Amino acid sequence: MQRIVVDAMGGDHAPEEIVKGAAEASLALPDAELILVGDAEVIGATLPRLRHDGARVRVHHAAQVVEMDEKPGEALAAKPDASILIAAGLVAAGEGDALVSAGNTGASVLACARTWKLIPGVRRAALASVYPTELRRGEKNDPFSLILDVGATIDASAEDLVTFAIMGAAYASLVSRNRRPRVALLSNGTEAGKGPAAVVEAHQLLLEATQLNFIGNVEGLDIPRGVADVIVCNGFVGNVVLKMLEGVSETVVRLARYAHKEKLTWRIGLMALSSALAQLKAVTDWQQYGGAPLLGLEHPFIKAHGRSTAPAITNAIKVAAKASAGDLCGHIGRGLAELSARREGSAP
Amino acid sequence: MTAPRHVFRWDLDKTYLRTEFDSLGDLIKSAIETAADKQAYPGATALLRTLSTTDGYKVCIVSGSPTQMRTVLAAKLALDGVTYDEFVLKDNLRNILRGRFRALRAQIPYKLPALLASRGGSAPAPAETLFGDDAEADAIVYCLYADLLAGRVDHETLARILSSARAYDDETARTLALARAAPTGDVVRRIVIHLDRRSPPLGFRQFGPRLVPVFNYFQAALVLFADGVLDARQLLFVAFEMLDSGQYHLATLANSLQDLMRRNRLGSETVLRLADEVGAMTTGGLLSARPDLPPFATIARAFTERVRELRGAAPPAWPTDPEPLDYVSLVDHEHDHRRARRRRGHG
Repeated sequence: MQRIVVDAMGGDHAPEEIVKGAAEASLALPDAELILVGDAEVIGATLPRLRHDGARVRVHHAAQVVEMDEKPGEALAAKPDASILIAAGLVAAGEGDALVSAGNTGASVLACARTWKLIPGVRRAALASVYPTELRRGEKNDPFSLILDVGATIDASAEDLVTFAIMGAAYASLVSRNRRPRVALLSNGTEAGKGPAAVVEAHQLLLEATQLNFIGNVEGLDIPRGVADVIVCNGFVGNVVLKMLEGVSETVVRLARYAHKEKLTWRIGLMALSSALAQLKAVTDWQQYGGAPLLGLEHPFIKAHGRSTAPAITNAIKVAAKASAGDLCGHIGRGLAELSARREGSAP
Repeated sequence: MTAPRHVFRWDLDKTYLRTEFDSLGDLIKSAIETAADKQAYPGATALLRTLSTTDGYKVCIVSGSPTQMRTVLAAKLALDGVTYDEFVLKDNLRNILRGRFRALRAQIPYKLPALLASRGGSAPAPAETLFGDDAEADAIVYCLYADLLAGRVDHETLARILSSARAYDDETARTLALARAAPTGDVVRRIVIHLDRRSPPLGFRQFGPRLVPVFNYFQAALVLFADGVLDARQLLFVAFEMLDSGQYHLATLANSLQDLMRRNRLGSETVLRLADEVGAMTTGGLLSARPDLPPFATIARAFTERVRELRGAAPPAWPTDPEPLDYVSLVDHEHDHRRARRRRGHG
């Protein structure tokens, strides 16, 4: 049985939507236990209003909450009984197998980093995010590519980038059921020598020391095209890229709204495209993919979007259950151990 | 005729037996299934067996299944080792032959007189516990039966309720006669509704604290333990059947216990008493050496842990002076709900 710990108080729509998502997951996942951490009175008043399986839901009281706009370090220090800290602690104590939170990203990452150990061979954890692309991949026909790191740390060495590549490939092969994901480094040119020193060095290491399906460097424009399934970069670049892609998407939507209001002919054109646009929206709906995994720690953590409503939480829980059931962290650990063994074997 | 101490009235489909009758295909499948094919819910068999073998307890089964299924249903109960004192089924063939098609689906006009006839037909027990499910109108029928016996619903109101429930005139007359003849008293101690459809438990709050919606039979056993109807060993007998089914773990049983606490259906003092009793148990009798099952101390710890995790969070309080149930509205609402479900293709 997969035991998924859920921070019931984290997120713009917590606890109502989080509890709803968990309630739905209790019916959808036949072999999972949902451990809701938060205000037991509030959760206890919400659950009976929802269809769920009472045998699969457990509530663990936490008296404090880290708000979305609080400074992570300060908030965690001031609130030892915060739901995210208690939730991470339960996983560390072996009471749960994976964690899901839609709360304050910094506080969630910090709570996990402080409470859990890194997988041997990992120096820095990486936050991964998925992005919808033109191409489909894996047995699930997944339209999403994985980008990491998108902000867990600012800088990354060549060694870190190689680790991120191994972690991202393990996640893609397990969650997207993509047996041999195409891994690429994000750079300012496709040539091996392009980019900062860490990227150039990582390129060499990935070619020589790993058995990943490394396809070389990709540029920013290759991300939405879906050229690679796993795109590796440092947290600073990843965060900038991700925010820019989100900004472009929002601008396109705003332009479409403007066009809809501006001219009758444009409105007719948009109406003609409405079913295709609806399909596109369904394919690229971020609520469907669950959340961003934090990779590199000894337990899976899925960071759901702060604006998550119940369906996104249910999906995040499903991803967490899949990561736990498939032993994602074990896969990463074995991948890193193989890398280490290969490099030791090839050392002079 | 010696009066039993306690009567337990059970529905069968979706209460004891995992039955699907949402579509015509489901109905056909259910009709042609053999006794061995029929599946009871985990823990239900152990609970029914425990009740039926306890001195002074009487088990009456009142099911809406047609009388033609008596042989296979009786065989299923025999296979499960369940004995019973009464077994009432619905004579739907007679309804068809008389062209009374409304009666085929009717719940209240069938079940209420069946319950009253059972109570009136034998020495009355001072206490009754009723088991039903959320698929049909069991909550309404059982509460109405309880309130009728307790004198909280008069016969004039009953006639109006039966009219709302689309009862035929002779059914109304017979039900009223049975209600007049049935030995009265505030005897229904507990109504247990199995949430087969996983309906939100809050939807049953209007029926008051006597009615407890349960997700599984460990919860039913816990409620009966709190009521003093089962002891801790009998409760574990139910729990172990559920663990044996492979569909439940110690954690899910402990979660079930916590769920009842959060809903103010089980007090922490009762759970702690249960944990003490379980922790002090030794193997033997019904619970003879089973190394594959968790040790008693582990079970007791899991139960107390769930109490501790709530850290004293107060469950919702029950109103001290509840409004009496408006059965006519409830019946009308249930009727509309069923019609809407049929239109959506759900039985």
